[in-house]
Amino acid sequence: MKKVNSIYIIDDDPITVFGIKKMLKTTAICPDIEAFENGKLALDGLRERIKTGAPIPEVIFLDINMPIMDGWEFLEEVVNMNIKEKIIINVITSSIDPADYKKWNHFRLKCLHYLNFKNKPIYKIDDTDLNRVNMVS
Amino acid sequence: MKATKTIPQHYLLKQLPHPTALLDLEHALVDASDSWIALFDKNLNDCIGTKIEEFYNKHEKVCGNSLEQCLTQGKTHILRHKKGKGAQEQWLESTFAPWFDEKENLLGTVIHTNDISSEIEKELELERVKTLLKTTSEVALVGSWEFDIATEKLSWCEVTKKIHEVSPDYEPDVNEGIEFYKQGYSRNKISMLFHKALEDGTPFSERLIIVTSKGKEKWVTAAGKPIQKNGKTITLFGTFQDINDQVLTEIKTKENEQLLTTLVDNLPINVFIKDRDSRKILVNKSECDYLGAKSEDLLGKTDFDLYEKDIAQISRDEDLEVMRTHKPMIGIETINVRKDGSATNFLTSKIPLLDIKGKAYGLIGMSMDITHIKQKEDQLQDLINVTAIQNKKLINFAHIVSHNLRSHTANFSMLLEFLINEKEEEEKKRIMKMLSHASDNLLDTLENLNEVVEISTNVNLDKKSLNLNEYIHKVQQNLAGFLVNNKVELINSVPKKLTVLSVPAYLESIILNLVTNAVKYSKPKEIPTISLSAKKQDKNVIFSVSDKGMGIDLNRYGGKIFGMYKTFHNNKDARGLGLYIIKNQAEAMGGNITVSSEVNKGTTFKVYFNEES
Repeated sequence: MKKVNSIYIIDDDPITVFGIKKMLKTTAICPDIEAFENGKLALDGLRERIKTGAPIPEVIFLDINMPIMDGWEFLEEVVNMNIKEKIIINVITSSIDPADYKKWNHFRLKCLHYLNFKNKPIYKIDDTDLNRVNMVS
Repeated sequence: MKATKTIPQHYLLKQLPHPTALLDLEHALVDASDSWIALFDKNLNDCIGTKIEEFYNKHEKVCGNSLEQCLTQGKTHILRHKKGKGAQEQWLESTFAPWFDEKENLLGTVIHTNDISSEIEKELELERVKTLLKTTSEVALVGSWEFDIATEKLSWCEVTKKIHEVSPDYEPDVNEGIEFYKQGYSRNKISMLFHKALEDGTPFSERLIIVTSKGKEKWVTAAGKPIQKNGKTITLFGTFQDINDQVLTEIKTKENEQLLTTLVDNLPINVFIKDRDSRKILVNKSECDYLGAKSEDLLGKTDFDLYEKDIAQISRDEDLEVMRTHKPMIGIETINVRKDGSATNFLTSKIPLLDIKGKAYGLIGMSMDITHIKQKEDQLQDLINVTAIQNKKLINFAHIVSHNLRSHTANFSMLLEFLINEKEEEEKKRIMKMLSHASDNLLDTLENLNEVVEISTNVNLDKKSLNLNEYIHKVQQNLAGFLVNNKVELINSVPKKLTVLSVPAYLESIILNLVTNAVKYSKPKEIPTISLSAKKQDKNVIFSVSDKGMGIDLNRYGGKIFGMYKTFHNNKDARGLGLYIIKNQAEAMGGNITVSSEVNKGTTFKVYFNEES
């Protein structure tokens, strides 16, 4: 079981949120799992954490298609924020549009965080979804 | 007696101005005039009694009888002789006549000698001129003829005979001469002209056809002129020229010209030639037809006389460029606007005309009317645009379908996986509930998609003229509860009798969606105010729905606002479908929907109803 300080789940679909939470129960020990319905709410939460000095999430599960602010817009904001810690961001989508994969790759190259691309459906959380340090070492 | 008789005689003879000499029967000189003696370079006193032969043998006897024959008694003879050489040359003519006394006794011979140098010269000159004339006429194939009225004798020169292809000894008469002319016009004409010339001395010159003795047809110029003496025509004199080659060449040239004119005139493209100042100096039929004027009315005109000023200036600039660079302008698309404002698309070429020195003195222009092609092209382009938009929509729709169905099926898949592995009953129930929820969502999605597909595939729309206010009231009634609950203030300024062309269900859907939308996105804690208005503009009726609500950041969401499943506010009721559907409905009816908005100020949607089709 991997210990994670804090996890964000950003998805407007309650079923997906339920699924991820359920899967995390068996793979990670995390006292702080927070879910957001869209990028805007998540971004507000993240900014609040930085402002108050609270620990920022180590892992983010990010849906792409969301109202108000979608996954890409959220990523754009995060990339431009001055965050020293490297976050593992798992981009999750039901889209099989190659354009989405390209966009993901574009962000992967320009951002300091670790970016994964996961297609729905997800049946389990992989180690790499939570942990990058092990892979590198 | 003899002496007294002789001396005066001698004296008389000596002074005669006309060179004269007397010979006795022995051909010895008896006496001579000083002038005669001078011709022979002698002195009279030394020569009396000298034989006549001694005088003449120093001269060349050129023609006529021999001296001996001349001295034959009883007859008059003429002898031509020449004295000196070169520039000193002198031609003389001596007449020998018998010399009788009063009793008709032959005493000897009287000689008269004349200087005929100038006559001879004239004769030679005449000979020379005749030869020259002959040569000239042979070279130029100009013959001559002469008709003596008194004798009715017609004579032809050699060349004239040659032209007729008759032998050199052929002697024509007038009738034969006329019959050489081709039967019909030529023969009638020459008869008439000849007759008229005889009658009242009218000269003539006419191109006619003859048939030669060998049966060959030839073009000739027959000319005639009366020669008069004492006011009376005595002779007709004329020339006769073979102009067959010339005429044939002319005919050929004319034919070529005709061919070229026919070709240029009947080309289905506009052809024109312009001079250095861009004045038209040739226009073909197509160009005349296009400009609706006769060729003579167009010549000398410039484009400024024929087209709109701007268009004419462009054309003039092209002309100048072509003439300056000597580079032809080939197949350029141009637009001509005639004075009446009608525009024509042309495919125009302009080719510089260069003179011998290589300087441009004008240009040939050719314009092909491609208006129809252009129109077709535009139609095609429109079609391509429509197709491209529809294609884009289809792809978009396919993505929506794919994405939405995938997200649901992914959920099913995931939940089922959980269910299989789940041991706890409570958790199983929870998953089952989730599955049922997912199933409902899928059904909703399918219904939504159906709705969209229906709009997009409804090709034969039954558009009717509908009273806009009537439909607004209808929607108001349907939404009565919703409007009251939200304390909506609805300001309707749509003209009472205004109608729009629309599918009834679509009109209701559009009004309903825009009004509910406006209420939904009103500012919290404020009474929603919605203004409805409409006006006719060109081919459209524009129906506006304005609110003073939250507004939308169009810079951010402008591109997505009418997209499917796009919501931009945290509103639980938002399905992200309404705008997508009414946009599709408006477009399906040949109209459109636009939006303008400012965050915190409000939003205005404008629906364009196409009133034309």
